[in-house]
Amino acid sequence: MSMSQKQKRKALTCAKKISLHTFFVIFCFITMIPILYALSVSFNANNSLLSSDFSFLPKAFTLANYKAVFTEEAVLLWFKNSVILAVCTVAIALGISIPAAYAFSRMRFTGRRPLLNMLILLNAFPSLLSMFAIYKLMNPLGLINTRLGLIIVYTGTMAVFGLWNMKGYFDTIPYDIEEAARIDGANELQIVRRIVLPLAKPSIVVTAVMVLIYVWNEYIYAITFLTGADKYTLAAGLYSLQAGEMSGSWPVFAAASLVISLPVLLIFLYVQKHMVSGLTAGGVKG
Amino acid sequence: MRKSTGCQQTKDGEAMKKRNDNKRAYLYSGLSLLLIFVVVVFPILYTAYISLTNMNLYHWFDFDFIGLENYRKALLVLDSGFLAALLRTVLWTVVNMVIQLALAFMLASLLNSPNLKGKGIYKTILMFPWAMPGYVSILLWKTGMFNSTFGLLNQWMERLGLNMVRWLAGDVSAFICCTVVNLWLALPFMIMIIDGALQSVDRSLYETAQICGANRLQKTTMITIPLIKPVIGPAVVITVFTTFKQFDVVYLLTQQAGSPSGANIHTILTYAYENAFITSNYGYSSAISIIIFLLMIAFTVLTNKQMRRKRV
Amino acid sequence: MKRVWSILTALLLIGTIIPMTGCAKKQTDTNTIVIWHDKEDAVVEVLQKAFEEQLPDVTVELVRKEGLTEALKLVGNDPSAAPDMYLFAHDKIGVYAELGILAPITDFVDEETLSNYLPVTIESATYKDTLYQLPLYFETLLFLYNRDLMSDDEVPATTEELYAYMQANTSGDHFGFVEQHSTAYYSIPWINGFGGSLISDDGVPLLNSPEVRAALKYHKKFLAYMPGESEYSTVNTLFLSGMADSIIGGPWLVPSAREAGIDLGFSTMPVVDETGLPLAPYTGVQGVHVLKVAAESKHDTVARVLNVLTDPQVGIDLANASGCAPANALAYEDESVSSDPMVTTMREIAETAVPMPNIPEMDVMWTVMGNLLVAVNMSDGVVETETTKYQTKAEQLIEAMK
Repeated sequence: MSMSQKQKRKALTCAKKISLHTFFVIFCFITMIPILYALSVSFNANNSLLSSDFSFLPKAFTLANYKAVFTEEAVLLWFKNSVILAVCTVAIALGISIPAAYAFSRMRFTGRRPLLNMLILLNAFPSLLSMFAIYKLMNPLGLINTRLGLIIVYTGTMAVFGLWNMKGYFDTIPYDIEEAARIDGANELQIVRRIVLPLAKPSIVVTAVMVLIYVWNEYIYAITFLTGADKYTLAAGLYSLQAGEMSGSWPVFAAASLVISLPVLLIFLYVQKHMVSGLTAGGVKG
Repeated sequence: MRKSTGCQQTKDGEAMKKRNDNKRAYLYSGLSLLLIFVVVVFPILYTAYISLTNMNLYHWFDFDFIGLENYRKALLVLDSGFLAALLRTVLWTVVNMVIQLALAFMLASLLNSPNLKGKGIYKTILMFPWAMPGYVSILLWKTGMFNSTFGLLNQWMERLGLNMVRWLAGDVSAFICCTVVNLWLALPFMIMIIDGALQSVDRSLYETAQICGANRLQKTTMITIPLIKPVIGPAVVITVFTTFKQFDVVYLLTQQAGSPSGANIHTILTYAYENAFITSNYGYSSAISIIIFLLMIAFTVLTNKQMRRKRV
Repeated sequence: MKRVWSILTALLLIGTIIPMTGCAKKQTDTNTIVIWHDKEDAVVEVLQKAFEEQLPDVTVELVRKEGLTEALKLVGNDPSAAPDMYLFAHDKIGVYAELGILAPITDFVDEETLSNYLPVTIESATYKDTLYQLPLYFETLLFLYNRDLMSDDEVPATTEELYAYMQANTSGDHFGFVEQHSTAYYSIPWINGFGGSLISDDGVPLLNSPEVRAALKYHKKFLAYMPGESEYSTVNTLFLSGMADSIIGGPWLVPSAREAGIDLGFSTMPVVDETGLPLAPYTGVQGVHVLKVAAESKHDTVARVLNVLTDPQVGIDLANASGCAPANALAYEDESVSSDPMVTTMREIAETAVPMPNIPEMDVMWTVMGNLLVAVNMSDGVVETETTKYQTKAEQLIEAMK
């Protein structure tokens, strides 16, 4: 290839890269507009969500709202509650979904197909009224107003998704590796631990993140099942701050919403690298 | 290829393997299935049970079995309004799903471009809509963006010299606004799922295709899409259901008591809410829930059959 | 990977142990009273103080519970999960009475004490001739105005005067008067001003009655001078930022208005020229209700707690702390209460206000009325057709409740 052709090629890839980045920057900006709006409101010293001349940079800048979030509201307590619930739910959800996904993916057994289909169809039920049923169930077990009860509800809600999602991913992992390991004499537990799970890491991480986000943002069950401001999760606490017609401060609410979303985003940023599949890195060839 | 390559076994051996598998399979998935039964299946059964009773405000704790009376009542009342809501919900689901899949696929593919620096940051920013509780985001959109006097959109319209629009007042514009908000909320999930699925595709297949002279479009339609279909399948189905059942977006944007916007774009759940759930007649509302449930299942089964027929 | 596993397992173990420590306590201790509420801190502090001072041997826990109304429906008759009492508005009394979870207040407080209360509050708290709530304070909508923009003599005494004022003072972005014109709660003053009502005392909707129709028709002309959107954030912001001279709003607006530096004026409602009746809002009475499950097991403690609340001093403290209008008439003899313009205006309005219906059928009327208003005001519907349509709707819904 001649020099100018090579340069042309390089310029083309460069142009492609630039346009790609530009696209993403613009798209991300559009996505963030409501968030930027909330950010601006949270820095605003006037207590109004709306004002007749709005600019992204607030005219009366203040950090007081953020301070209020931390000092006037028990945000750290809410945080603690959310973390406990989230960690337990993720741990238990993964703990029961991974073996189940493995079973549904690798094993052939009676009722496999029908069960899978039924599990999907269960999602068609409009659960606006389920609260009552869950209450009827939890009450005799004495699990109302306990964390355990809430965790059970959360885990159960995410179980179908976890199972299906990970099973789908397990299905894409070629059986040959396990077969090879089996011939080499490894037992099932070792195969799962040493081979399947590392390969399924992206899917496991994705499922974990999804369960985490669900628990983090869930407020309906949290509010109904737990009584007492000391048990508030972040989402429940935020709900109580809600600036409706009758009370509340919009800037504090906006500030609190952003503060609450931050941990989730940080976790997401952190697990990015774990979501890259081992398969594409050429882990399985031939 | 992807299916497990078992070795040749005798019939006896196969039967025994199956029996063993049964026990092991249920052992592995037992806990999960139990939990699903308790938290998901039981409420459905319980709701079905209540739908056969007269549980309402006047018989809250002491209700009696009244058979299919609630269903009869429901079918009598399910008038043209219900049909309109049903059709609108179908339209809503189709529009949302098509756009969602197309956009998410495009974004996920672009995000997976080789050597894209800052990929992680872009992904994290795109996840933002998901990181906040739903009602907060919807509130932000309603009051911050769509508000006809002070909302951002109208302020920009004003600056551009255009007339202010009451976004949520007309039926069509409200529908579009709800769709935009729904997409905003739902895209992160879809992007993440498709992104994960794209990762599962073996890169070597692309290289082989490249050597065979396939262009971008062919690579996408013949390798990528067929291969990720089974992986994203369940997530897509669940999203279809969630979109169909969507209540918050439409209700909070246009119908919440205290701030009605003037648009009448009932979806099936908001219709059920306004016509049944607010009466606190649990038996009746349960019957309506079950009816919607059965409708959705019927819908799914029918579409499945249609798709199977097409494939053959 | 191994480390991740050990961490996960450790978390799993911790995860199952920690939650166990939060088991539910059974409410059998007769010296503890749990009261659910969703009120702001200022009110709660006043009550807590009163309990601590006057009942040192009883533990009264004021527990904030979001979604109180739904939660009560779930746990109402369950002694281990239900509260003993709850503090809430009176309009849900009918619902809970029909559920059968309330105990009459007259079991605990004697007639003589109750006679000190403003009649409208006792009336509001009574359902099917039984008193189910001990009123504490009440609120009504007020006519609020910005004294920098509307002088005291300009305050309209009749609705026609209001209309004239709006015509003279509304242009472009500036409004003479704003209100949430298509929200059910704010349409009530107009309906009552024409002598109508949404629903009869025995649960028959009256949406297509001549009074309601007259009110809706009359009200329509005011819309020309108000913003198209009726939701609270727009309307309130207009007033709070000085772009509207006056507003019909609730006492909850007052702190924000003061914060925004507005010189607030309070007034009673204008009178409808045609009927001679003032625009009469609903009164919302906040008070304490007793659950049957507590009444049976903790009768004496409950009685003591309730009687603490009948002390006029509690009313006075509430008025001072949070601008509430006490339900106990004796509280008004105090200087600090009788000199508060907002409180006295609310009391005046209470003389002609109509108690918000507390019958269960009212539950469905809010949505139906809201839709009716939207149809008539925002979608320019014809009053006769729309009222007939929504009357049928309301009847259907009420029928469906049974």
